[in-house]
Parts: sequence; C-alpha cells; structure tokens
Amino acid sequence: MPLIGALPQPITSAPLVFFVYLVLILLIGSALASVLLRNTLYAVGAFAASMVLLALLYLAIAPFLLVALQLLVFTTVSAVLLIGLLRGTTRLRTSSLGRLSPGWIIGGAVSSVMFALLALVLGATSWPVQVCCSIPEDFGQVLANSYIVGLAVLAVILGSAALGSGLMLAAPTLPSPRGGGSTTSRSPGGGGSTTSRSPGGGGERNVRR
Amino acid sequence: MSAGLNLLLVASAALFAVGVFGAVARRSAVVMLLGTQFMFMAGALAFVAFARFGLGAQHGSAGAAMALFAGAVAVAELAVGLAMAAVIYREHRSFALDADRG
Repeated sequence: MPLIGALPQPITSAPLVFFVYLVLILLIGSALASVLLRNTLYAVGAFAASMVLLALLYLAIAPFLLVALQLLVFTTVSAVLLIGLLRGTTRLRTSSLGRLSPGWIIGGAVSSVMFALLALVLGATSWPVQVCCSIPEDFGQVLANSYIVGLAVLAVILGSAALGSGLMLAAPTLPSPRGGGSTTSRSPGGGGSTTSRSPGGGGERNVRR
Repeated sequence: MSAGLNLLLVASAALFAVGVFGAVARRSAVVMLLGTQFMFMAGALAFVAFARFGLGAQHGSAGAAMALFAGAVAVAELAVGLAMAAVIYREHRSFALDADRG
C-alpha cells in the first residue's frame, strides 16, 4: 500500500473553473486597488471586497465552516475595526440621511432582493458547494479534537489583542519629544525655550522666531 | 482547462507580492496594515490549496485549520495595528509613517 495516495484531480468542471478564475482575477485586482488607492475609505472598501472574494474562493475549495468564518467573522471584524478607526480619526461621519429616508429604503429593498435571489439560486441548485468533491465534512470535529490546544492558544491571542488594543486606545497621549501636542517657542535672544501645551492637545506645531 | 494547485499557488504568490508592495512602498499606516493582511491571506490560500490539491489532501482539514488560525491571528494583528495607528493619528494628525516628519 503506498504511503502517499494519488494526487487529487484538479477542478475540471467548466462553470467551476470559470468561477475560480474570475474570483482570482477579481481578488488580485481588488488587492492591488486596496494598496494603490489614495483614499483610505476606498482602500478599506477594496480590502473588504478582497476578503469576501477569498471567502467565495474558499466556497469552491475549502470546508464550508471556513467559508462561513471567513465571510462572517474575519471580514466583518476587519471591516468594523477599519471603519471604526476611520470614524474615530478622519472625517468619516455617520450619514445625514434619516433612518426612514427614501435612500435607505431603496437601498435596503435592493439588498434584500439580491440576497433573496442569491439564497434562491443556492437553494435550488446547490451551486457551487455540491459541485466540488472530496471536501472533508468533519472539519468542526477535527478542530475540536485535534486542534483543541491551538484553539485555546488562539483564544488567548485574541483576548490579549483585544485587551492590548483597548488599553492602547484608552491611554492618554503623551507629548512627543519633537513637540507633538505641544507648542514650543524660542525666545528672541536665543536663550531658553518655553513649552506650553496647546488647548486642543492634538496639534503639533514648532514656532521659531 | 482546469484549476489546480499551480493556479492557486500563483495567485497566492501574486497576493503576497501585492501585500509586500503595500507594506513596503506606502507610507500610510492603514495601507501598510492592509498589506500585512494580504500577506496573511496569501499564506492561508496556500495552506488551503495544498490541503485541497496537494500531497496532504488525505488530511485536508489540517490545511483549513491552519487557514483558520492564520485568519484569526491576522484579525488580532489588525486590532493591535489599528490601535497603534489611532495613537499615531492622535499625535500627528496623520496616518503617515515617515521618519523625516518634523
């Protein structure tokens, strides 16, 4: 009995091959757009699109639990973190439209129709999950049995990351040695300099006379 | 025409190159973080590709588990990195990481 069996065959089904090629091209394109765009908000949007496209690619070649985690957890958490950073720092603000404005209603209706259409297609055709072959179904059991230590370590890493980032955000900003958050003015005679904190606390300004 | 291990590894390499470019060539802290995320994604894609089409396909769940761990570590790294970016923004009113900034 050979130690290593035959290699799994590549995907040859024409619709699935087309799907994989399309997703890969879009994935590389959105990744390039994410690192090339000057607008940070657009870059974050392209990054979120890349995460969704990777989840779609996993749909064809990976267990469904990984697809769900990639799509629902990793993409959502990353997008929420990035949007939260942008809202907390730059000019990204909440929409001025009311909750029941026509724009929100039309957008919600279109999104609902699209999701319903997608669910209908997936439910009626089982595409592309059933097209792929030899996908292990016991991924959850493998995780719970063989990788329980890894899951525990991962929980510690995620908890410490959340704790560390929370502490870092809660800590007061220290003035930088170059004058961040403070205004430094030099006396005309070239003597000593006086440092005073600006009322806003955030501006960085060095004034030389 | 088929889609197998070679195609996915080439795509993974391309994604990793894009991530390296974003992390090295750009000055914005946010874009640099996104570059590291793309590198994590490329690694996870390679794990999944090997698990699906490679020699270890008899134990395909292992590659998916590694991809899951890589994704979770990437999210943790993103959380810490974004907190650092927020601190940098508070102090300098910019996301730019530039040693020459006064």
